[in-house]
Amino acid sequence: MAEGIILNAAFFFSLAAAGTGAAAYVFRRPLFSKTAPPAMALSWIALTAGMLLLWTRLGRPPLSNQYESLLTMLWLVFPLAFYFYRSTGKPETITSAALVSSILFGAASLLDKTARPLMPALRSDWLILHVLSSMAAYAAFALAAAAAARALLKKQAEVFESLLARLAKAGFALLTLGIITGSVWANTAWGAWWSWDPKETWSLLTWLGYAAALHLRKKGWRGHRFAILLIACFTLVLFTYFGVNFLLSGMHSYA
Amino acid sequence: MLNYLSSLKLFFLLCLALASVFIYQTIFSHEPAPYGSWWFATLGFLLAANITACSARRAKTASAAFLLIHSGIVLVLLGAFVSRYVRFEGSMPLRSGSESAFVYSGNSVYKLPFKVRLEDFRLDYYREPRGKIVVTEKTGRQEFPAVPDAEINIGSSRIKVLRLLRDFGLTAKKEVVNKSAYWHNPAAQLEITSGGKKTTLWFFTNFPGMHREELPFHIFYALDHAEVKNFTSSVLITPDKAPGFKAEISVNKPLQVNGYTLYQTSYDPADAGYSLLSAARDRGLWAVYTGFAVLLVGIILWLKE
Repeated sequence: MAEGIILNAAFFFSLAAAGTGAAAYVFRRPLFSKTAPPAMALSWIALTAGMLLLWTRLGRPPLSNQYESLLTMLWLVFPLAFYFYRSTGKPETITSAALVSSILFGAASLLDKTARPLMPALRSDWLILHVLSSMAAYAAFALAAAAAARALLKKQAEVFESLLARLAKAGFALLTLGIITGSVWANTAWGAWWSWDPKETWSLLTWLGYAAALHLRKKGWRGHRFAILLIACFTLVLFTYFGVNFLLSGMHSYA
Repeated sequence: MLNYLSSLKLFFLLCLALASVFIYQTIFSHEPAPYGSWWFATLGFLLAANITACSARRAKTASAAFLLIHSGIVLVLLGAFVSRYVRFEGSMPLRSGSESAFVYSGNSVYKLPFKVRLEDFRLDYYREPRGKIVVTEKTGRQEFPAVPDAEINIGSSRIKVLRLLRDFGLTAKKEVVNKSAYWHNPAAQLEITSGGKKTTLWFFTNFPGMHREELPFHIFYALDHAEVKNFTSSVLITPDKAPGFKAEISVNKPLQVNGYTLYQTSYDPADAGYSLLSAARDRGLWAVYTGFAVLLVGIILWLKE
């Protein structure tokens, strides 16, 4: 299928961008990483085209299972990265995004791509807002974790302090929106705004984790300590997004 | 004491305690969830008290974003407590043509201030599934579209499609009928001529593998998956002291009547005339939703800081 080829091209450009970032680091040639932004731009264009084809084939936005939501999350990584690249001027934002998107493309290639029609509970306008805000939150947290790992590796956590804090704040705000829209939707579809479904419980746990991290930062946990916190909190995101689906069963079993 | 109640230390402790409960409960425990227990409520209460005390202590100097975010969270927690003690939810099983004002919650029965009559229950599919006759032999597998009167030749044997039903059922007189218009129990009646012998047999999608011993090959009546798009109850609501009105309830489209919300919860694939509704009333909801709104406004201001 054409969409598969285009998505593979997007994967390739992301890998190329990550590769130039890695080469710049290994060979100590910062100029190498100059090619990362155009490669990422190409990756985003290809991803957008692939998702539009998928959208056309499905006849609905690709938001309803893990594969589709992962593509949406991937798509959101790019504008977030470009926004923070512009506002902070740190090219590391782009190479961190390249690392995140390469991993996510890899994960997407492993997932079940069978497209099914929307089940009755998912047929709602809330789907778009809930999935978009949750995936944007995960994308921001993934970028924050990748940037944190990079900063720790280069022993420059203090330099990246404000970028990390801004990414974490953006992710926290989006996750709050994701949980609230999910809750209001749950009340419309299931008749309860909170049911302690494993996905709900883990998203609350993730939210508490980042809330604690942001409060610890206020208490002086900055620099490398905050970077470590962001990586630790990202394991909660990973479990909420992947672990809950594969290991636990609940009302979110479809995604 | 008040200092401790308003401290971040208590907040971190509560986060750790809640995290432990969530992790243990979702991954390791096989016991019923503790979220209704007194000690879990205590944790929630302490969290609300902690946030309130901390916000109150900093009220004079704190930003609007800080105050809105924290009071929003406290409102949501308060709403959760109100919900916990006053929220009512019960299920209301109905059959087509029947009327009821009763809902069942645990072992108790409650009477609603209105009656609900199920006029009709409807399932919608994304598209009509196509049936196919699948024949497997030692030499391989073949598929044929299942169309009435179709004739299929397998070597020297012949299969003729006699009848196709969406929802196979038997009357008291043992007559085969379509029980409903829905694909609940799809069945195909086939006439098989093999080795000079003619037999007429029923094959069921839901029970593959029947008649294996009687035939020289295996036959299945398979169906492209019938994907349900939506299910809807058409109801007549008659309040105790008001004229009745007609309405529809479907998934994601609940109906509000006299302070109660009626939801389309489930249906029975084996019984096309059955619909399960549930009725809920939650007076804590307004506090929760107000809390959500306050929290979101606070978050937007916080991002701008």
